[in-house]
Amino acid sequence: MIYGLGILKGLGVTLKHFIYSYLEDVRYLFEGGRYQPRHLPARQGPRARGVFTVQYPKEKLPLPENFRYIPFLVYDTQENKIKCTSCGICAKVCPPQCIWIVRGTDPQTGRPKPEPEAFYIDATICMSCGFCAEFCPFDAIKMDHDYELSAYERYESLLFDLPRLLKPDTYHARIHPSDWAREIAEKEAEKAKKGEKAAAHASS
Amino acid sequence: MGQFARADTGEVVEPKTLRTERLVVNMGPQHPSTHGVFRMVVTLDGETIVRLEPVMGYLHRNHEKIGERNMYLQNMPYTDRLDYICSMSNNLGYAIAVEKLLGIKPPERAEYLRVIMAEFTRIVNHLWAIGFLLNDLGAFFTPALYAIEERELILDLFEEASGSRMMCNYMRFGGVAHDVSDDWIARARELVYNRLPRAIEELDRYLTHNELIKARCQGVGVLPPDLAVAYSTAGPVLRASGIPYDVRRAEPYSIYDRFDFDVAVRYNGDVYDRYLIRIDEMWQSLRILRQALDQIPKGEIQAGKKQYMIRVPAGQAYGRVENPKGELGFYLVSDGSPNPYRYHIRAPSFINLTALNEMCKGHKVADVVVILGSIDIVLGEVDR
Repeated sequence: MIYGLGILKGLGVTLKHFIYSYLEDVRYLFEGGRYQPRHLPARQGPRARGVFTVQYPKEKLPLPENFRYIPFLVYDTQENKIKCTSCGICAKVCPPQCIWIVRGTDPQTGRPKPEPEAFYIDATICMSCGFCAEFCPFDAIKMDHDYELSAYERYESLLFDLPRLLKPDTYHARIHPSDWAREIAEKEAEKAKKGEKAAAHASS
Repeated sequence: MGQFARADTGEVVEPKTLRTERLVVNMGPQHPSTHGVFRMVVTLDGETIVRLEPVMGYLHRNHEKIGERNMYLQNMPYTDRLDYICSMSNNLGYAIAVEKLLGIKPPERAEYLRVIMAEFTRIVNHLWAIGFLLNDLGAFFTPALYAIEERELILDLFEEASGSRMMCNYMRFGGVAHDVSDDWIARARELVYNRLPRAIEELDRYLTHNELIKARCQGVGVLPPDLAVAYSTAGPVLRASGIPYDVRRAEPYSIYDRFDFDVAVRYNGDVYDRYLIRIDEMWQSLRILRQALDQIPKGEIQAGKKQYMIRVPAGQAYGRVENPKGELGFYLVSDGSPNPYRYHIRAPSFINLTALNEMCKGHKVADVVVILGSIDIVLGEVDR
């Protein structure tokens, strides 16, 4: 055994990594530099060599559709109303119990109405598990892709209330395209079924 | 042996007349994640360890108590936090325990996805463990950096499949939460067939025959096979001591009985063998992954309808899996109510730590951190 050979081999590996990081720079030299958005998948993918770096916050990694952070409530822009019926399943299924819902009441009849009067999510407690979105029977609560929630104090900024939680369905469609397509397809199927039933009823 | 002069009086004394006594030192926290949670009380004779007592606790997570308050499903994201490097295989262990009680079986595709995720997790864990073992050895950050680079690529796959890189919350009772696309499978194959073998081979070339690593690891922290069994250690710690015990073979779960792989075993029981066994296991995981990715069928990913409130029949079950750190077991007692009556976890990190005293005896203070690194613990599992 030759002493020092193992160390030399090891240093060879670090030298290879060092050279690769510059080779990558050379590769992108005439394509506007390495940190162009169009190069991101190649730089971060399984074939990438050299240094894995993202110039955050100038550059951000694209998020997969399934990515989940804090939940938000979907606002139906076509029907101009909140999708949530305040059924409370999200609060029931939430493991750290970070959701509070106050059910609305009709001022004239005094009866409960199917929409929330107040809705709170404590983002300091939320463990981003996504159960609320997974088990909501009305597709009214979804997981957001916005992960930049830092605040200077804990309780005021991170206790999300209804106005802050509401986001339009166009936003939901943009960040969850396949989920949105499934919802639309289900809606269409339901509509067609209703139409069929009505036609059958009319003919009888 | 020369003569010594006393610092206070300047009196010259012979060594044999020196009065020596054992010193008890609180060692640690040696890592930011162990503050208040883990320390070692070492009894020293000079610089040699005579006795070492690991002091664990005070993380105050109440994992098991919260688990008895929660509905069965609600425990799933809590298992992610148990060993936060291996959330996918933690999920699997818990899902298996509840499925035993429910008497249900996931569909084929879900079983394959579970195995793929669990084996990727093993590679993630071992890359991390080897990187940080070298960190503990004083190699600073380069090996860890190279290991983490590869890990990131696997976490990309986890993120796409489950929605989160580390807190995956991916398994459900009777299946998995989301299906994966053909593109996902293609990228996983690229990793398994090309990238990861190269990376493991490079890590091997970089570290295995390095003289400094051999000098610091060979013959250090030896755990003889009889003691390894007596302390009921598991995983790489047990197999590096020459006991070829692996739950995937001893009591095959999911679809592990279909795959061709060897149980990695080494015989010296020292830090070096625990490092080598992790390299061996990564190769074996790649073997399983190749088979699983080649054979994965199309189809359903969930048996029956996904429910948030399940009624589990009264009874008890112990679901166990071969986690990267060793046997992870979930013991559940159900009284038929929506939440477990008793929820207990057999955590490998905690049990492997009990053998630390035996491994450290007779070694120097500088070796303790390396030996601890070779056990590969996560404190979330140690104090539940």
